[in-house]
Amino acid sequence: MLGYIFRRVLQAIPVILVVITATFFMVRAAPGGPFDAERQVSQDVLQSLNARYNLDAPLWKQYVDYLGNLLQGDFGPSFRFANRTVNEIIAAGFPVTLELSLYAILIALVIGLTTGIIASLRANSWQDYVPMSISMAGICLPNMVLGPLLVLCFGIWLGWLPVSGWGLTPGDKILPALTLGSTYAAYIARISRGSMLEVLSQDYIRTAKAKGLSSARIVFVHALRGALNPVISFMGPAIAGLLAGSFVVETVFQIPGLGRFYVEAAFNRDYTMILGCTIFFAVLIILCNLIADVILVWLNPRLRTQARLGD
Amino acid sequence: MTQVMMAEIEKGSSLGRDALLRLRKNKPAIVGAVFLVILIVIALLTPWIAPYEYQSQNLLLGASPPSADHWLGTDVLGRDQLTRIMYGSRVSLMVGFVATSVALIIGVLWGAVAGFVGGRVDALMMRIVDVLYALPFTIFIILLTVIFGSSMLLLFLAIGAVEWLTMARIVRGQVLNIKRQEFIEAAVSMGLSRWQIIRRHLLPNVLGPIIIYTTLTIPSVILLESFLSFLGLGVQAPQSSWGSLISAGVASMEEYPWLLIYPGLVLSLTLFSLNFVGDGLRDALDPRASKD
Repeated sequence: MLGYIFRRVLQAIPVILVVITATFFMVRAAPGGPFDAERQVSQDVLQSLNARYNLDAPLWKQYVDYLGNLLQGDFGPSFRFANRTVNEIIAAGFPVTLELSLYAILIALVIGLTTGIIASLRANSWQDYVPMSISMAGICLPNMVLGPLLVLCFGIWLGWLPVSGWGLTPGDKILPALTLGSTYAAYIARISRGSMLEVLSQDYIRTAKAKGLSSARIVFVHALRGALNPVISFMGPAIAGLLAGSFVVETVFQIPGLGRFYVEAAFNRDYTMILGCTIFFAVLIILCNLIADVILVWLNPRLRTQARLGD
Repeated sequence: MTQVMMAEIEKGSSLGRDALLRLRKNKPAIVGAVFLVILIVIALLTPWIAPYEYQSQNLLLGASPPSADHWLGTDVLGRDQLTRIMYGSRVSLMVGFVATSVALIIGVLWGAVAGFVGGRVDALMMRIVDVLYALPFTIFIILLTVIFGSSMLLLFLAIGAVEWLTMARIVRGQVLNIKRQEFIEAAVSMGLSRWQIIRRHLLPNVLGPIIIYTTLTIPSVILLESFLSFLGLGVQAPQSSWGSLISAGVASMEEYPWLLIYPGLVLSLTLFSLNFVGDGLRDALDPRASKD
């Protein structure tokens, strides 16, 4: 198991390096320097700016310097906000995005698994059809539509919940988390229903029943363990989608999270910020995929043997 | 129905006719397909049938709720909402189809070559797919729009370049699977040429999954374009797509909710329909691999 994790981490390193290199040179290849579009600045100022952002060194030197700084966890200063570093902006925005995402995952897992399990136990009854139809709606309703609709309903017309903000008024975290989580709740409901149905028809479940185990024990201990695998392999890549979703949700609800900062940086052409954030997001997503894979192997003895034997 | 089925069996039915028969029984898929056909026809005919000029403003009118003159109301500049949604459909659908075609071509070629050639070439090609899979592409597309400015061409290429990975995996898996089967061996022993085998035996068997996955790719592409346009990084004004219309609707939803609701409705219904048709095709073309 440890060997497997070690191998996966080793495999992730070149991928991360590719990301950093590609992003760095793409940003450097952007037509026009970051300050070209701005008002004319004097030669002195330009020189000091170039020095500050390490633009007067040869390109390979800039790249090596950037890598070196990254290794020390330093993303450099922001192009747009002269007195802030990218690290500060990430430190300010990421905890908010993380909290939002965690709530969304929690909502997705609780609602999704509950409906999925109930639907599979009552397959082909109304307790199956109704939630599965709703989940189809949840998948097809993009959060850029769902979010504003929820605001319109519960925020403006009914007036039950705040329409925007984060941690400013009580209850203002409910709508954003619900918006972000709903799509994943819908997916998880469908996936867990499908895998539960498959597992429930297997021989070892019949054996468990024949042994006279309680149905609660069969469902939650025997069946769920097997049925969770597809859900977990869905969760890894879902984190990437969750991040993209947070861009929309943070824009709709005016939440000061990293997603919104990233989109703003894209508008402001804040090159170092975009560079730093892209790398930060990429590493985060690669790590999440890795963790999902490790959990998957840990839960599934068959994969564990494969992992020990080296794929 | 059973009589029809019997007749079909006696005549000996092709894969296509069989699938069509099964698809016809799937009500959601049919409703979805009808909706899509109507939508596509309207989008194609928009320049001739749109009730107003795309750019024509009526500042005196401003934002007005749906009325007899403007069925879906007008936006803050007094532009007809129905007209704007119709033109937006052209953009959104075009991005959906063109970017999916890009993904289709790259994915099928990549997967087919990897699966057919096999060996080291296959291992290398699939390793590249694995690496690309791990990258956060949504973020890369945002990066690309920042660097190169957002244009339709970039949207096509960037979105197409993201979506081919799964297609490549599916096609490779299918090709590998079919290559090993006995009827291919039989075809080889009968002395059929390589091209004949690919055309008569390999392609028809890979076609099903390709069609299914293509129908399921289109909605995710449309969603990706709407996502970018919603954030203001996709289609630029004066052009509009569903995403940018929704984004404009969100800005003023408190006063003028119809500006949000109608474009949102069209986008959601389209995604619904495409998913239903995709699911229906999956059940029809590959009855063994039904959803559950």
